[in-house]
Amino acid sequence: MAAPLREILVPSVAEGGAIEGVGIGWARRLSLDIVIPAAVLILIAGGCFLGPLILPIPKPVGGNILSANLPPFSPGHILGTNPVGNDILSQILYGGRVSFEVGIGTNLIGLVVGGLLGTVAAYRGGVMDAIIMRILDVLIAFPSLVLALAIAEGLGPGELNVIWALSFFTVPAFARIARAATLRLREQTFMLAAQLAGTRSWRMLFRHIAPNILPQLVTFGLLGVGVAIILEGALSFLGLGVRPPNPSWGNMIALGQQTLTAQPQLVLIPSIFVFVTVLALNLLGDALRIRWAVS
Amino acid sequence: MSAEQPTLATLGGSPSSTSKLDRRGASPEGVPLLEVQDLHVRFHREGGQVLAVNGLSYRISAGTTLAIIGESGSGKTVSARAVMGLLPETATVAGSIRFEGQELVGLPEEELRRRRGSDVAMIFQDPSRSLNPTMRVGVQVAEAIRAHLPLGRREARERAIELLRMVRLPSPERRYLQYPHQLSGGMRQRVMIAIALACYPKLLIADEPTTALDVTTQAQIMELLLELQGQLAMGLILISHDLGLAASYADEVIVMYAGQVVERAPTRELFAHVRMPYTRALLDAVPRLERPAHSLLPIVEGQPPDLSRLPIGCPFAPRCPRADDACRQAPPLEEHEPGHWWACWHPHRDDGGER
Amino acid sequence: MTAPPTTNGSRVEMPSGGEALLEARHVVQEFELRNFGGGRGGVVHAVSDVSLEVRAGETLGLVGETGSGKSTLARTLLQAPRPKSGEVLFRGVDLVKLRGRKLLEARRHLQMVFQDPFGSLDPKWRVSEIVEEPLVAYGVGRRAERRRRVDELLDLVGLDPRRFGSRRPRELSGGQCQRVAIARALTLNPALIICDEAVSSLDVLIQAQVLNLFEQLRRELGLSYLFIAHDLALVKQVSDRVAVMYLGKLCEVGPAESIYREPLHPYTVALLASIPRPDPAVRRPQAADAIKGEPPSPIDPPSGCRFRTRCPRAEERCAIEEPPLRPLRPDHLVACHFPLSQAGDRASVAAGPRGALPDQPSEGSGPTP
Repeated sequence: MAAPLREILVPSVAEGGAIEGVGIGWARRLSLDIVIPAAVLILIAGGCFLGPLILPIPKPVGGNILSANLPPFSPGHILGTNPVGNDILSQILYGGRVSFEVGIGTNLIGLVVGGLLGTVAAYRGGVMDAIIMRILDVLIAFPSLVLALAIAEGLGPGELNVIWALSFFTVPAFARIARAATLRLREQTFMLAAQLAGTRSWRMLFRHIAPNILPQLVTFGLLGVGVAIILEGALSFLGLGVRPPNPSWGNMIALGQQTLTAQPQLVLIPSIFVFVTVLALNLLGDALRIRWAVS
Repeated sequence: MSAEQPTLATLGGSPSSTSKLDRRGASPEGVPLLEVQDLHVRFHREGGQVLAVNGLSYRISAGTTLAIIGESGSGKTVSARAVMGLLPETATVAGSIRFEGQELVGLPEEELRRRRGSDVAMIFQDPSRSLNPTMRVGVQVAEAIRAHLPLGRREARERAIELLRMVRLPSPERRYLQYPHQLSGGMRQRVMIAIALACYPKLLIADEPTTALDVTTQAQIMELLLELQGQLAMGLILISHDLGLAASYADEVIVMYAGQVVERAPTRELFAHVRMPYTRALLDAVPRLERPAHSLLPIVEGQPPDLSRLPIGCPFAPRCPRADDACRQAPPLEEHEPGHWWACWHPHRDDGGER
Repeated sequence: MTAPPTTNGSRVEMPSGGEALLEARHVVQEFELRNFGGGRGGVVHAVSDVSLEVRAGETLGLVGETGSGKSTLARTLLQAPRPKSGEVLFRGVDLVKLRGRKLLEARRHLQMVFQDPFGSLDPKWRVSEIVEEPLVAYGVGRRAERRRRVDELLDLVGLDPRRFGSRRPRELSGGQCQRVAIARALTLNPALIICDEAVSSLDVLIQAQVLNLFEQLRRELGLSYLFIAHDLALVKQVSDRVAVMYLGKLCEVGPAESIYREPLHPYTVALLASIPRPDPAVRRPQAADAIKGEPPSPIDPPSGCRFRTRCPRAEERCAIEEPPLRPLRPDHLVACHFPLSQAGDRASVAAGPRGALPDQPSEGSGPTP
């Protein structure tokens, strides 16, 4: 039987020998397009969460008004200070914590809750599928920012509320993807084979379906973290979410906007951090998607 | 129905196309239609090279049928794509492919494109994947015509309908307007053949043309191919894994393994005197109606070799029941008997006719 | 190929023709199509009133082309999905009436091997886990015992458990994947294995290896098979009896040799004539022997005999009255108004009871709706 060209290029397995490069462990499977963005992310995240513990960085709030508006590379304040006297680097690091917590938190909720909903909907089909999907359709129909605003407005300020607000549309988004992936998977022969082997529903879900759709959900999640960070920034920028003086990259940009010409670094620095973080997340997500799609 | 079948004489067209039709014997004297010599095709991957074709040589004349038989990984499809110039960037081609004396290896893409379709055409295994699902089938045929012939839209449409009639597609005018999903597998393959024959190529390469079809449809399609071959005096290269097809439809047979020719002979000669153990193994493994139920088949163990790590010497040696130390040195492909070539140190000898 | 070690160390005698192990009675399977607007778009009559049986110790071959419904029938027999109507008795128990736990218990000794070797194995699982799955699902044994059984099974199918146990499907070849699938099917000591085009995707030489494996397992474990394929030569060389399907219905059922030497149904004759033999001395399939035309759609099958639109022997009667499946010779049934007898001319089918299968009408059923 003629093999498609792609199969011809993959060497057939000699009796007993493994295909080169596969199953030999993690080291073989890392390449630059994964390592570089991952390293950047680890650096930034590490800096945000561990930096204040290890390095002698002043607190992000309660700064001395006397040391307001110091330029970058001032002694004691490597990135300078803001109009109220708070150290910018410190604000960046603590603000970064917010971004990561919101980003990862809302996507984790989305993956678990949304993933479960979508998978169960597709697996059971019928009425349950219809109900779940209609509810989620309604949620997706709202423009995301408007919905987030409304919920944040309703819940009040604070990081946790931002997470809840943003979860309102990570959950449906993940559910959609999980559902589509599960529907595709359901048609596969090995699913039927597993059923014939006697495997029951819950085991099917957790041992067969979940491992096979997880790569897709994870890559979507990585891109989603970037989106969530930007949305958090927007919410904070608009006065919802984390309220000053507690820093977040979003409200830093909002405050810095007022003195854009005089002290552009107040806007630039947090913007650069947002940009680099989201870019790294996107690149990593893309690279993993390509890698996992091939195998 | 046969009265309506267009023949060469009735198919009209521009003067250039008419002269194309009447070309039986038009090939320069003594020059075979296609001559492949010592063809090597390598693919570059990270981690090494895949040696897909390792020294393939054959020739084919107009009006004859050559069957290239092999399993997956034998290189039969890759070699066909090399002839058509349809290999990806990662492929390196070495050796010679001459079409009517003109060397094809190393030609720029423009030149190859000119020949593709008008001189050499190819049909593939799965017609549902080779046809554009969003385009009407007739339009796809017409497009193939206009790619090489300076015809207007209406003329091309008429010629396309004639071609569809020629491949025995019932109600061609109606089918012209249909989409691939509205046709059965056999009909789609006929459309593919019509597209391939749009400009009356001199050589047609059929890569597993009937593998995806039912056996009853297969008989119809093979008959159609043979009939068209006769009408157009084409050379036909039939690529398959099915020795039954080779026996029934080919004039000459080449057996490939691990990118090399291991045996080559006129059909009757090959089946009457199988020499290569691999060919013997293939023949023994084919399901046969005459075999009694619950018999154990004579088998060869193991798998086809890894093309990125070919063993030294004869590639079949690791699995061959007749192999010994001598096989560490690759046996050359030689014409040991008139017309019958093989590459083996321990070929089967005559034992009174094979089946 | 070296003979794999046996599980019980003794060979099993093959009874030929015994009581029915698996019996399908008037099985009907249909699928509704939805068109774009969401409304009903038609019904695919995939399997229409099929009755057959697989006897203990035998291999029944089922051959049919695209649209014949053979694969649908296989899955329907396993209740995936349940038939629209009819009964499926496995060891005397009707599977159609069972649900949940009871169905799993009744179906335990009925297994299947699929066409796509890679597709039938979960790409994220390891070989040993795949083979172990039925044991886990049915709660058989403890971990150590299960591991031992898995190793035993892998050996049985010719895969060294030390080398293959921890591999994933993408690290295996097609033939090796199929062996894993076979090992998995053997886990619960099945009595009957349904092979749905189980070797059709494999290269010729690998196919022969796997066929031999099936045969050796048959001899050592006393297995029965329902062997489904579109290649009549393949089916015939492994089967005791052969059933021929066309567009959801059975055309002919009989001993393999009988089907081959004295086919009764015109479709069987055409199938046989279309197979190219690996022998240039044999006449190649001719258009005259091959069937004309295209297979009709199972959504709108022809009235009466479904083969009549392509049958060279069709007459008026064939459009009006559907021919019932009835025996023309001992144990050889055919559904045709004008089957080929030994003399090759027409013979009207004698009215009479159907013999082997119980509860069958003695006269033919009416035309299809």
